[in-house]
Amino acid sequence: MFKNLRAKSNLPSSHLTLLDTLKVSVSGLRTRKLRSALSALGITIGIAAVVGVLGLSASGNADLIRELDSLGTNLLTIEAGQGFSAEESNLPDGAADMLGRITPVYEVSTVARIAGPVFRNNLIDDGRTKGITIIASDLNLLQAQRGTLHNGIFLNEINSKYPVVVLGSVAAERLGIQDTADSKMLWIGEQWFSLVGILNPLPLAADLDRAAIIGYGAAEEYFGHDGQVDTIYVRAYPAHVEDVRSVMPATVNPENPEEVQVSRASDVLEARAVANSTFTNLFMGLGAVALLVGGIGIANVMVIAVIERRSEIGLRRAIGATKLHIGVQFITESLILACVGGAMGILVGILVTAIYASTQGWFIVIPQTAVFIGIGSSVLIGGIAGFYPAMRAANMSPTEALRSN
Amino acid sequence: MKEPSANTIPALELINVSKIYQGTPPVQALSNISMSVAAGEFVGIIGASGSGKSTLLHVIGTLTRPTNGSVFINGLETSDLTDQELSGVRSKYVGFIFQDFFLLPGFTAQENVENGLLYTDFPVSQRKERASEILDRVGLSHRVNHLPNEMSGGEQQRVAVARALVHKPAFVLADEPTGNLDSANTTAVLELLLGLNSDGTTVIMITHDHEVADKASRKISFKDGKIDDKLGL
Repeated sequence: MFKNLRAKSNLPSSHLTLLDTLKVSVSGLRTRKLRSALSALGITIGIAAVVGVLGLSASGNADLIRELDSLGTNLLTIEAGQGFSAEESNLPDGAADMLGRITPVYEVSTVARIAGPVFRNNLIDDGRTKGITIIASDLNLLQAQRGTLHNGIFLNEINSKYPVVVLGSVAAERLGIQDTADSKMLWIGEQWFSLVGILNPLPLAADLDRAAIIGYGAAEEYFGHDGQVDTIYVRAYPAHVEDVRSVMPATVNPENPEEVQVSRASDVLEARAVANSTFTNLFMGLGAVALLVGGIGIANVMVIAVIERRSEIGLRRAIGATKLHIGVQFITESLILACVGGAMGILVGILVTAIYASTQGWFIVIPQTAVFIGIGSSVLIGGIAGFYPAMRAANMSPTEALRSN
Repeated sequence: MKEPSANTIPALELINVSKIYQGTPPVQALSNISMSVAAGEFVGIIGASGSGKSTLLHVIGTLTRPTNGSVFINGLETSDLTDQELSGVRSKYVGFIFQDFFLLPGFTAQENVENGLLYTDFPVSQRKERASEILDRVGLSHRVNHLPNEMSGGEQQRVAVARALVHKPAFVLADEPTGNLDSANTTAVLELLLGLNSDGTTVIMITHDHEVADKASRKISFKDGKIDDKLGL
């Protein structure tokens, strides 16, 4: 039986297949189910936070992009700005016509602010205006804003000459009106106006949401409006938006181009996306802290396991395990804990994203990077957390480990 | 060095082996032990607790290296071997039996026996069959699927004996194998060891019990880290 033992090259060697390594490690965890589950939970929470945050911000951004796509990023808003003089400036007469002549512009709409209060009836105290403004508008406004009606109709060629009003979504809410049927008449200025329509929110022009919109004809008739335009909305072909934007001030007001202020409505939405990403970073930070704590939890459990399983380590050394086998066994246990925790975390993160996104009516978007970050950080944490306990287990003296309890 | 023929080489030979545990003060667990065991012997090492006999067994079983002196296993000087090589030697040639059984909790009797083959090159597909055979041999074929905490101490030690035998080792090293057993189970375990020895396996057993040691074909008395008589040489 010993005949080849003398020749060193024929010494028997210890083996442990990959499958056996996995089995040994899984069984080590299986006999301590609760503790294993709790220590994996830390990683689950951390990874779920990271995946959920990335998933939610990606889903939210996808929704924003979809919104931008449907609203268009080619809407420019032209207003009178502050010039060099301290006086308030106005857009010159005929500005809208001039803008319409710029070739890439295909849609122009104008509005004017009218001073006066808006009430549900003529009995309400004058002071309680609820912050609703009167806006005189042309007939293109709804189209230019890609707006939709909550119910009723918008201004048209016929009704815009008469005392009819369309309410913005916020204005309707503040007046307590959900339906044009709720209240047929509104007391605007010193005149009854009939309510013909209520708008859905206009994401590109939030100030119109707070407005009671009337036609230019009615504005002239009942408020003595002289046709002065305050804001011009322009749609230009997307490829030329920036070019159009740069020539606008001089086109509108050749004498004082600095008095013309041009803004791109979609910039506001994009700014909202940037603001969201600040929250994303905050939550990512929280996720990272959870992962760190989870990693420490795993390291803690593994250190305790090495101490508790002294006799197992001794026995394995006695039946032929090398130091490496012992070390690999413990680091594999740690990796399994972290990876199972991480996999659960990815699932929870996806679930949270899916549930929240569907309540918001968003598309569900799980970025691949979130999944890769989840897997990668699990492996990294498992490896780091298991390294020291594994070294300790591997270097434990078998004699010490086998001492009777 | 001249190559002696196989049958003249002792299965085990210790030459001037000492083991000192560093500490304050240092403990001399073994001092100047020289002994040899021929292949097929059943040696009982008897001594009081704290006499260093467990250390001796660990030195013989290559679990720890002597501070001084040489351990030869079938003529092979083990101090030349790396830790990895010693693990290989243990996996193939040595079977350990401990007073505390050291069965892994959560593993059935069968799986615990299979663990004896885990680090060997024994074919994975045949492990189950071999483990069953050996469990049958120690009279536990009705207990294959029981967990350690479902078995009596005697049954647990028989599982541990089966685990020590499953890879057909050249040596079985038993450290107080009957220390935690009642007399009926002591007899059963000793009979297993005797049967094993009669099949040609070298058995070295440590005990503090003279009655148990009397079953061995040779007794070595051990006291304060030294061999008390010269029976072994």
